[in-house]
Amino acid sequence: MKIKSIVLLSFLLNLFFVTNAKTIKVVTTTTDLKSITEMIGGDKVSVMSIAEGYQNPHFVDPKPSYIISLSNANMFVTVGLDLEIGWSPQLLTSSRNPKIQKGSAGYVDASEGVGLLQVPSSINRGEGDIHIYGNPHYWLDPLNGKVIARNIANGLERLDPDNKSFYENNLQTFFSKINAKMQEWQAKMAPYKGTPLIAYHNEWVYFERRFGLHIVDFMEPKPGIPPSPSQLVKVIKEVKADNIKVIISSPYFTTSSSDVVSKQTGAKELTLATSTGGFPSIKNYFDLFDYDIDHLIAALK
Amino acid sequence: MNKLLIVLLPACFFCQQLFSQTDSTATDSVLLKQITEQMQAGNPQPAPQTNRSPRNSNPDIGVVADFRGSYISEGKKNFDAYLDEAELSFQSVVDPYIRADFFISFSRDPITHKYGAEVEEGYLTTLTLPAKLQLKVGKFREDVGKINPVHPHALPFVDLPAAYVNYFGEEGLNDEGASLSWLTPAKSFYQELVFQATSGASESPSFYRGDNNRFIYLAHLKNVFTLNDNATLELGFTGISGPNDSSANTNIAAADLTYKWKPVQMNTYKSLVWQNEFFYSNAKYASDEAHNSIGFYSFVEDQIAKRWFITGRYDYAQKPYNKNILEQAYSLTAGWYATEFQKIEIEAKHTTVNVEPNYNQAWLRWIFIIGAHGAHQY
Repeated sequence: MKIKSIVLLSFLLNLFFVTNAKTIKVVTTTTDLKSITEMIGGDKVSVMSIAEGYQNPHFVDPKPSYIISLSNANMFVTVGLDLEIGWSPQLLTSSRNPKIQKGSAGYVDASEGVGLLQVPSSINRGEGDIHIYGNPHYWLDPLNGKVIARNIANGLERLDPDNKSFYENNLQTFFSKINAKMQEWQAKMAPYKGTPLIAYHNEWVYFERRFGLHIVDFMEPKPGIPPSPSQLVKVIKEVKADNIKVIISSPYFTTSSSDVVSKQTGAKELTLATSTGGFPSIKNYFDLFDYDIDHLIAALK
Repeated sequence: MNKLLIVLLPACFFCQQLFSQTDSTATDSVLLKQITEQMQAGNPQPAPQTNRSPRNSNPDIGVVADFRGSYISEGKKNFDAYLDEAELSFQSVVDPYIRADFFISFSRDPITHKYGAEVEEGYLTTLTLPAKLQLKVGKFREDVGKINPVHPHALPFVDLPAAYVNYFGEEGLNDEGASLSWLTPAKSFYQELVFQATSGASESPSFYRGDNNRFIYLAHLKNVFTLNDNATLELGFTGISGPNDSSANTNIAAADLTYKWKPVQMNTYKSLVWQNEFFYSNAKYASDEAHNSIGFYSFVEDQIAKRWFITGRYDYAQKPYNKNILEQAYSLTAGWYATEFQKIEIEAKHTTVNVEPNYNQAWLRWIFIIGAHGAHQY
């Protein structure tokens, strides 16, 4: 009798949870993917991002708590291009969730269809952290946001075809908003076309090309290799020669080497956000560009 | 020739159709639209490079080399230098249901100084079992606490803790069989229960691979609590039972406690790990005598800068065959991590044994990796 009632209870509990599982549980690797998924999925999704917006997305510790989220997820969205190679494959295997493994309906690679930059013809680790498929920081071009959104919408429509028109409508709204904001951003940045800059890490190429900036050099001598004294000397010379006014960095790099260059040359140091949530005021993907563009212009003025 | 053409042409056409079908996703039209927009906007934009580098169906292949220099204050030969191990790894998903991981080790025999190859690990892992279950089958490093599942090159010190070596040997408990792991439904913390049944360790001091039908059984309960965004606490319990070299049983109970701190924002610059493992062994022998012994170690690994790690460790170990022989050791290791693919470590260790003179040891270890390098466990 006791066993029967336990079985019945667990069955009812299961039924309760199944009938309440209306939202699609999505886990994204980064906050930008989370923001875009929320805009496309609206109230039909609940989204969790593994990396924080102020965290280096190359280096995320695969904490077991992420495995719990992944094991219960219906969909997984990744930046791809090996950006998360050091941590996401292991988390996916440990999640033991067949719905979100590569090749399953719930696996979304946001980079599909993105026009990639800096695709190497061969790989040699002597060049530092080079990505075999190309520079993976493509979300920093707002137009690539559209491709990301299209991929996410495709994923949601695969899992929930009944609400296809809902996702398509949200996608069109997102496209329109990007188009409108792009005009605003382009207009703001127009006077700064060709402005030379120094960046800490090679993660701005898509932003640079979209808004016509010119990154002359990096604080890192090679991607992923910490700034060396000889690189600082080289950068100081370049800053002086090209009259570079601003050194841009990201929230997850120390400023000690930029401090040196700044002191020697008078160039301003500016920490820009690389992702949604990079600073508390950046609540979504649009805020990211608002923040970066406004702060860059303020520093260049 | 004509016949060949007749066969090949439709085949080519079919292939072309197949590929064009798989390529014509909705993202293409978005891409086209994007390119059109860019051209209309008059914005000079480099042509998108879509030719992703060719990849083939080979598994991820890597080689980890472990070069060492060593010093010991006792004996005739005090200094030595050698390539301790070259480890080849081949890792890949097999099909939609399983993945496979192989580690082939070419290591130097400490006595004969000759190199021999062996399968260090070779196992499959299921990806699609229901009920949060995962099965591992093959030869693998068993789930005893925190040191045993980790390949030595990934540890923050050169030598292994004395208690661990006493019970499991320099090679660790690494054996053939099956492992079933279950992710429990706990939501507020991570809980995993693992059962392993293996045929008998070949080189472990505690267990013996006999010619009868007895196996080693192991259970491990892993609990990881998230304390805050930057810190976790792991508490694990392990029980092992299996035949020893006198056809009786050895039972080992182990517990591990690990605190990890790593600030999310600056996680490549600072971190701290405090790890402890405690072992209790009850070894019965055919003569009906039983030996009980304990051992533990505790270490703190402090990342003091982006590339610098300092690790201090204390070892306490009773000999499994005689608990009155007590070995204690203090060691300090400094590690310089050039990149994810190269590190140099220097370790100094002072050992006291209550029945023999104290001695000192030192090592230099240079780890370098080419090819793919799989992610380490958290």
